[in-house]
Amino acid sequence: MNRLSFRPRPLDIHKKLPIVKSAREFEDDETTLALRAAPPLPRHSVPELAADVEAHPGSAKKNEQEIPTPQYDDVDTYDRDYTRTFAQPTSYIRARGARAEIGEFVEYDLDNEDEDWLEDFNNERINLNPEKLEILLFKLEILDLKARERAGIITPTFIGPVPVILQLDSAMEALQYLSVRYTVFQAVYNYWKAKREQWQKPILRRLQPPPPVNDTNPYNVFRPREKAYRLHTRRMQRRENSVQSFEKLRLIQRNLVQAKMLMDALIKREEKKREAMECEVHLRRIQMKYKHEALLIDDGFALSGFQQVPSKFGSSDDDYADSDDTDTEQPVVFHPRFPDNKLSTIPSVRLKRERELKRRRHQNAWLFRRDPEEPIMLFTRPLDPDKLEMARIRPPLDPPIDGGSTAPPFRCQGRIGRGGRIIFDRWNPLLGVPIGQEASHFV
Amino acid sequence: MGSMELSTAPENGTAAACNGTAAPPNGGVERRLRSSSTSAAWGSHLPLEVGTRVMCRWRDQKPHPVKVIERRKSSSYSSPADYEYYVHYTEFNRRLDEWVKLEQLDLETVEADVDEKVEDKATSLKMTRHQKRKIDETHVEQGHEELDAASLREHEEFTKVKNIAKIELGKYEIDTWYFSPFPPEYNDSAKLFFCEFCLNFMKRKEQLQRHMKKCDLKHPPGDEIYRCGTLSMFEVDGKKNKVYGQNLCYLAKLFLDHKTLYYDVDLFLFYILCECDDRGCHMVGYFSKEKHSEESYNLACILTLPPYQRKGYGKFLIAFSYELSKKEGKVGTPERPLSDLGLLSYRGYWTRVLLEILKKHKSNISIKELSDMTAIKADDILSTLQSLDLIQYRKGQHVICADPKVLDRHLKAAGRGGLDVDVSKLIWTPYKEQG
Repeated sequence: MNRLSFRPRPLDIHKKLPIVKSAREFEDDETTLALRAAPPLPRHSVPELAADVEAHPGSAKKNEQEIPTPQYDDVDTYDRDYTRTFAQPTSYIRARGARAEIGEFVEYDLDNEDEDWLEDFNNERINLNPEKLEILLFKLEILDLKARERAGIITPTFIGPVPVILQLDSAMEALQYLSVRYTVFQAVYNYWKAKREQWQKPILRRLQPPPPVNDTNPYNVFRPREKAYRLHTRRMQRRENSVQSFEKLRLIQRNLVQAKMLMDALIKREEKKREAMECEVHLRRIQMKYKHEALLIDDGFALSGFQQVPSKFGSSDDDYADSDDTDTEQPVVFHPRFPDNKLSTIPSVRLKRERELKRRRHQNAWLFRRDPEEPIMLFTRPLDPDKLEMARIRPPLDPPIDGGSTAPPFRCQGRIGRGGRIIFDRWNPLLGVPIGQEASHFV
Repeated sequence: MGSMELSTAPENGTAAACNGTAAPPNGGVERRLRSSSTSAAWGSHLPLEVGTRVMCRWRDQKPHPVKVIERRKSSSYSSPADYEYYVHYTEFNRRLDEWVKLEQLDLETVEADVDEKVEDKATSLKMTRHQKRKIDETHVEQGHEELDAASLREHEEFTKVKNIAKIELGKYEIDTWYFSPFPPEYNDSAKLFFCEFCLNFMKRKEQLQRHMKKCDLKHPPGDEIYRCGTLSMFEVDGKKNKVYGQNLCYLAKLFLDHKTLYYDVDLFLFYILCECDDRGCHMVGYFSKEKHSEESYNLACILTLPPYQRKGYGKFLIAFSYELSKKEGKVGTPERPLSDLGLLSYRGYWTRVLLEILKKHKSNISIKELSDMTAIKADDILSTLQSLDLIQYRKGQHVICADPKVLDRHLKAAGRGGLDVDVSKLIWTPYKEQG
């Protein structure tokens, strides 16, 4: 029927379906379709199956349509092995504690190796019965577990050989109440220890650590499993309240607090810089004012290019905050890029001196005022002109001598600073006067 | 964790007959022709290679086609003829694989497994991945349809040979069905002796007898939650009785193909069904259940021990698992994959329960309502009714066809209900509330 090929509407499990009691209704109706939306599952319920109900599965006679299974037999010693000692209580049986907690039950059963060893042992010496050996091995295992617990070397999973910690003497002492002769006990202990070292794990199954979670060997079984509580959506999973996410949040908090401290310090520094700037601007204004008055009074003319120089030096002074250089001297490093500076136009020595004095005061005002007599520059060395030559450093030229004057207004003097920097002074840092004029200053 | 139900139903489906994936391709005539000339030559080709196909005399004394899975030198090894062969009966499930002696094999029927390999090589180059997958899928044995071919092959490689051939458990000595990953110390032992009550296992009978003198258990170490006549059900917490739970898993794996012992037993509850007498409570079967299942599984593994199969215990266990779900107010479904026997029993149970309702019910009913009444998951209800062709599409709507004759026919096919669960005798609170 080609008409079967269209797909019926999917079935809504909440919709009430009519129950049709007579098959005829379908037969009459040609539009009836057997639902084949889902592939029909294998039909094991073929009604023609024989009903050989009580066929014994062990018998060789097989119903053709049964699934054959392996066989079984009765154990003839069963009646002797299991005693008729069970009386069912009238009430439902309640669980007791686990065996391990009840205490006196000897959980260990001898294996083939133990039995063989015991047979050899008994051939040579006195009789040690198997039950006693079971007790001894069981107690040794328990004592060793306790010793390992005390030593703190219990691992939750089997990550390496489990060592034997229990010593013969302490074991003997702990098991004195079993009244086993020392030689026997020693032999059992040695046997047990050798077996443990061979197995590399406890011989009592309950004490054997399970394989690690990431172990993929299919022969290892019973891994521990943390039942993960999974949230329904991914967004919820990301928000999971686990120890891990808590630690992450704590780290974020620490970082934010640190960032805030850093920002506070930065703001403080910027404020200080601004203050310093304002102070300097203020100072300059006063200087300017003073200079203009002085000029007007003394010479009656203004010095056009003069203001540039201090402002240039001032700009280099501004960098103090960012450098580690806290030398008491803020030595003037001569910039060769303006060798032809306007200082050459300074007309009089007196004006120059005033300027230098002001400048010096300004420079040291930040730190402390130095006694001009105090010898400093303990770690400096004089410049070697040959070496300067080799390094292609040309000392600045002495300013030209004005007509009438016997000495140049100042000279440049060089030295090597503490950090190896080359420093040119235009005034004597000790005396605070332009170089070449010290004598006249003190006279 | 694979699920397996060992059915009590004698009208088990047709799986046995159609199970074989590869009956020998050559007809009998051809084989006989060849054998006359080559039978002498085969003697010099011993031992047989792994992969050889040959006819083998089974326990019914008839020849059946087998494939050699593994071979080993027998204890009295002197010549290449002294090998034992682990064979898979291609008509049957892997549970019947076994070690056989050379005299059970009909050497005249030997076919080396060359065809398959040559074919594989020749075709693998030409085929697309899709085509190959299709072929892989068709090669998969019945009963594990829900596993992909790769993981099934891996599983079969790792479990290809049974390590323990027999166990003794209480009154019965039972041939095992599948490999079980016992601790390495037990690998050299073809037979294990289990204590019937605490399920400890030992390698020698004397060890078991010594153990029985001291073993103080006469029933599973848990709470009895159901008792009806001689039948009792015990609930054992895997966390409280770890060794017992592990022992039970080792034991159960011997009879369940697709069960994994990968994870520990803490997260499971075990429901042990026992027949009680004056010797104690003898386990006949069990099912395990996750304490908290996210996939609404109400059953992880289910097993009726072979001596108790075909007596209705398996159906009782299934019914019991649904009664627990009803008490929890949840719908449940067994964990997949289901084995051949497991699927059969579940289909039988679902068919019986649903058809009994449909027989009596007069008015319209939705799948959801059926699910609420029975605690059977809606998907399982749909697949059951569809496989019986009871849901039909008529005049633009779905209807349930419930002709009494048709229903009776299906009910008869589904077999007896087994033992009934008397809910009034179930004294149980769901795990969560106990916690």
